[in-house]
Amino acid sequence: MKKILESLEATGALAVFAMDVVRAMFSRPFFGGELFRTMWLLVQRCLVPVGLAVAPVGAVISLQGLELFRMFGLDRMLSSLLGTAIFREYSPALASVMVAAQAGSSIAARIGTMRVRGQIDALAVMSVDPMRYVVVPGVIACAVVTPLLNVLTNFLGLFSGWVFAVPLGGVDHGAFMEHLTAQVTPADLWVGLGKCLLFGTSVGLMAGFLGMRVSGGAESVGKAANDTVVATIVMILVVDYIVSYVLLGVGV
Amino acid sequence: MKTFFEFLVFARYAVAAQFSGFPDRRILAQQLYTAGVGSMGLLTVLTIFAGLNLSVQSYSTFQRFGGQDFLGMFAGIGGVRELYPVMAAIICGARIGANLAAALANMKISEQVEALEVMSVDPMRYLVAPRLWAVTLALPLLCGYANVVGITGSYYGAVHQLGLDGGTFVSQLEQFVHFSDLLVGVGKGLIFGWLVALVACFHGYRAAKKEGAEGVGIATNRAIVHGAVLCIVLNLFLSWIMYG
Repeated sequence: MKKILESLEATGALAVFAMDVVRAMFSRPFFGGELFRTMWLLVQRCLVPVGLAVAPVGAVISLQGLELFRMFGLDRMLSSLLGTAIFREYSPALASVMVAAQAGSSIAARIGTMRVRGQIDALAVMSVDPMRYVVVPGVIACAVVTPLLNVLTNFLGLFSGWVFAVPLGGVDHGAFMEHLTAQVTPADLWVGLGKCLLFGTSVGLMAGFLGMRVSGGAESVGKAANDTVVATIVMILVVDYIVSYVLLGVGV
Repeated sequence: MKTFFEFLVFARYAVAAQFSGFPDRRILAQQLYTAGVGSMGLLTVLTIFAGLNLSVQSYSTFQRFGGQDFLGMFAGIGGVRELYPVMAAIICGARIGANLAAALANMKISEQVEALEVMSVDPMRYLVAPRLWAVTLALPLLCGYANVVGITGSYYGAVHQLGLDGGTFVSQLEQFVHFSDLLVGVGKGLIFGWLVALVACFHGYRAAKKEGAEGVGIATNRAIVHGAVLCIVLNLFLSWIMYG
């Protein structure tokens, strides 16, 4: 019973927090310098892990898909499976999971550390709104950086899939390219980017929320960083399924 | 680069500690419980949705060239060989690994590890070895559990939401998913579990006292990211060796 109440309380607090963030986002003062600094930091930190996480997935899809498609003599069609799977599904989901793991947990840990050391209160005393100065740049940076990284990982995933299909798997290069351009539409790309925007925003929100809720010592900082990752991964997978199902019904 | 060599040195001592005698039974049982039973709820939710999504997503792809009847085969093989072991490993990294790193880093910055050394208790054998064993043993079990839950999710998605024939789905599973696929998937889980635990213990153990609360956050973060990336990259090479 106590657990249910606690989780309800947290959900309500998250909603209030999200409203506060939206209000702070669209009213003065803005901290542009802090925003760009955070964005640059996120790009630097996330580039390598996100790339390393998505590139093998394209290769694995080629490796396993080729074996299955060969049974039916369909190996020329591999690229349409690879393209849609990477663009719509695996690149957005995995890029967001890795952004949650890297950026989300480090933002939560940073805000939590500031909280433990009393720096958040110090900011408030200096009449700098911690919401505007600390939380909002994190949210906007995550929302902007995740789709950008997704563009890159789309190419990486496709390229590693191509490596395992064409030079190593013996599929004809012309057939690969032809099915890729014939079956993969710009809509697939937009679906992926839209998902990334949604997931990125929620990573930033969750990190800010759990970071600001830290109270106590070093242990709760670690817990906030951990909870951010777990909560956002659950959210990403659930929303991902709902989006796929709705899109299938709509026929996009 | 320096970190990598430090990791190798740490791995050497950790493995030596892991295989020198049976770890403390009480701690092992406790860790096994938190790592295994504690992750089951999360893993259930995640693999149900991953399985459903595998069906729904590949249906919309296969539909484009009229191959939707092969969904059972695709969902079965793709799930058991690749998706569920990697999922279990990422969850393991995000939850178990992060907990390990946070707990060890916290002990380190509050000088509890040094206190153990002063009492001439080897922290490698007392703290690290039981945790390594616990995660290594728990992950293959979680992996098998994820297979069951995930395939149930795929079946539900394919039959009840997409209107495919249930008999075809099951017969394709029986025909194309072999026992060896299950073994390879669970074996991957064993390797991933050991690796994730080792990376998490390494980052937790590296936290220095002067870093304070920030050190705990950094250790948690690195444990999650490095664990997940290592597992995904290693998975490619394992699949390449097995099926390439």
